[in-house]
Amino acid sequence: MLEIRELATAYGKIEALKGVSLGAKAGEVTCLLGPNGAGKTTLMMTLSGILRPKRGSITFEGEELVGKTPAEIVARGLALVPENRLVFPALSVRENLLAGAFRRRDRAGIRDDVEKMLDRFPRLRERIGQLAGTLSGGEQQMLAVARALMSRPKLLLMDEPSVGLAPLVVAEIFSIIRQLHAEGTSIFLVEQNAHMALKVAQHFYLMEQGRVSFSGTPGQLAEDDVVQRAYLGQRRAA
Amino acid sequence: MGIELLQRTLDGLLDGASYALVGLGLTLTFGTLRRLNLAYGATAMLGAYVGAWLHLRFGAPAWAVAMAVVAVAALAGLYVEWLCFAGTSDDTPPGAGAATSARGGGPVAGADAREVVALASSFAVWMQLEQLAVNLLPRHLNPFPSLASAGEWSIGALVLRPDRLVLALLAVALCLGLAEWLARSRRGLAWRAAADQRVAAHLAGIAVPQVQRAAFAAASALAGFAAFAVLAVDGQVTPMFGMWILTKGLVAALLGGLGSVRGVLGGGLLLGVVEAHAQGMFGAFGREFAGWALLVVVLLAPWRRPTRGFPRGFAHAG
Repeated sequence: MLEIRELATAYGKIEALKGVSLGAKAGEVTCLLGPNGAGKTTLMMTLSGILRPKRGSITFEGEELVGKTPAEIVARGLALVPENRLVFPALSVRENLLAGAFRRRDRAGIRDDVEKMLDRFPRLRERIGQLAGTLSGGEQQMLAVARALMSRPKLLLMDEPSVGLAPLVVAEIFSIIRQLHAEGTSIFLVEQNAHMALKVAQHFYLMEQGRVSFSGTPGQLAEDDVVQRAYLGQRRAA
Repeated sequence: MGIELLQRTLDGLLDGASYALVGLGLTLTFGTLRRLNLAYGATAMLGAYVGAWLHLRFGAPAWAVAMAVVAVAALAGLYVEWLCFAGTSDDTPPGAGAATSARGGGPVAGADAREVVALASSFAVWMQLEQLAVNLLPRHLNPFPSLASAGEWSIGALVLRPDRLVLALLAVALCLGLAEWLARSRRGLAWRAAADQRVAAHLAGIAVPQVQRAAFAAASALAGFAAFAVLAVDGQVTPMFGMWILTKGLVAALLGGLGSVRGVLGGGLLLGVVEAHAQGMFGAFGREFAGWALLVVVLLAPWRRPTRGFPRGFAHAG
């Protein structure tokens, strides 16, 4: 459903993406692994239209996304849960959710979806009137996921949802990812936590220094030497 | 003596309401953009001069003048936004460094440089628009279609001009109405979201550049409307008018916490009352002095440091 070909994005003269090609299939969880500075966040920001690529193409359900504004891209069914959450700190939890549904005009549907999100994330219900800036890191992450879901995306992009969170909260985030996948949501996930990612994703890419260096199934990933050393530590996969 | 103090307070409140009206647009642009628009007074003044010119040259009636003032101010505001402010805001994600943003274009030396460029260029446009207005009507004093009422109301020993009361009520209604709209409407939420976290607003599907343009046009139209209302009570316009709008509006907005829509109402009223009493005690010089002294005191006060929640006030619809 998502096809990225030879995508290159630069900050001034420095190319952060040097011709990236990869894809994501409908109904699957696709995971992109890579060290800091590999260009993962740059890729996500380019997919969302915040950054403009120098060359290459991004097609989503057959339609070219390069050159479209972030708002147009959201309207086509892509929603990003950005790195470091980026909630609206001075808006309440409810307003954050409503802002996520800005492209939608179905009032009743939006109201139902707010309820659904509050059922899915009970801690957000307790904090519904609170300003998002006063939430804990884990709660902000839940809110960022819920806000992205409010646009009813066909493909959910998640940029390192586990970073900087306590192990219990990380487990909770991944159980939500599994739940969303079971409900049929397609997810494109950027992670550094390979152990957790192995439990949810059906296809893996590895990115290093702006290039894709590995593509394969979880089984192939576990056998790959580089991945073994860099991401899975000493433990040998069975 | 007591009556005199009461009369002064009343006059101060009426003056203050027009300060709030004038500061409303300024606080709105600061709220959405976090940028100070120095050309704010000049856009309203250009509108007022075009209105006065239509009145003088073609005998345009007051309603037509009002529409012209608002329209010209709004257009001038869009021109300022396009020239000075479009593409000067930081749309790059945190951590991406000095990146080439889709909206900004070209490598830049960070957000600070862009802020200075926006401020300096809006100063240049201020001069440009003011000169344009003065070229249209070169005389110092120009008549403006007056809606002032001849009569005065007496309430006991107090005197009240009904036209100024209407102006004050209008200012209060506009401030509170706008605050309410920002707090409750779907589009108001989008404005607040864009002000609060631009990148997140992009990601939520809000067309941030359009929001910015709309906020600018609305703020300039409000400035034009404020200019018409104030001038219609005065019945004349001078080249000092743009400067008057900018300084009074800025002080009212700063007192209320730049970016806060309800705050600008409080700020304007406070400024008006303080000025009126200072004038009563120390004359015209005391009036100007008190206004600026009030600003300095409030800005230096420990509970109102610029770092603490200045722009926040706007986002949560204050």
